[in-house]
Amino acid sequence: MFDNLKKKLGIAGAERVVVSPVAGQAVPLSEVSDPTFSEEILGKGAAVIPSEGKIVSPVDGIIDLMFETGHAVSMRSNDGAEVLIHVGLDTVKLAGKHYTVHHKNGDKVRAGELLITFDLDAIKAEGYDPITLVIICNTEEFSSVHPHTGTTVAALDTLLTLKK
Amino acid sequence: MKQIEFTITDPLGIHARPAGQLCKAVSAMGSSVKIATEAKEADARRMMSVMGLGIKGGMKVKFTIDGASEEADAQKLEATLREIGLI
Repeated sequence: MFDNLKKKLGIAGAERVVVSPVAGQAVPLSEVSDPTFSEEILGKGAAVIPSEGKIVSPVDGIIDLMFETGHAVSMRSNDGAEVLIHVGLDTVKLAGKHYTVHHKNGDKVRAGELLITFDLDAIKAEGYDPITLVIICNTEEFSSVHPHTGTTVAALDTLLTLKK
Repeated sequence: MKQIEFTITDPLGIHARPAGQLCKAVSAMGSSVKIATEAKEADARRMMSVMGLGIKGGMKVKFTIDGASEEADAQKLEATLREIGLI
């Protein structure tokens, strides 16, 4: 089990793995109705249409910036990936409503540790799309960022494979 | 070296989307561009660092542009900031 986990977390080989921070339906960024994400302006990655209001860390690493509003968090993985998790589109406008943060800037976390909880139904009821983006902000430092989409994912299932 | 200063008018400040748009524009420039608040400075090409400045609406932001094309890049930068709606 631990070997498997190590493999999943990308410790074993040159490939790095970013797991899904949330359960739901994994879809390509091109299907996101926001050009900032679909045109990969922030970097390559994948999106998950969440089925529950719980975001866990997708990597072992350090929290670079936990937005006070709880709608986004950026992290640096121990193996050099800069990961942005953005929960919902335009949700910066909610100014923290419906989001609860569970870690702060500078915290070291393991993949699977709870980062953010959110009220999925309330966010939808306010008219926001809760689609959650997982973006590699330093995409240019990798030769490939491969998304595993088109499937239902549980939290901690492989979402992205990165190659140096 | 050229320095320009703006007050951010977008009440939401420089969150993920504008940070990404800004970094993309700056990455296409020949000059090195630094962005600074009164407290901290960051490389404007690095989105994570820019977001890390925690720039909010109403804050003063100083850009330092350095390179052979700094005059043109300063103009491009100002145009980009207006286009994104930050100033």
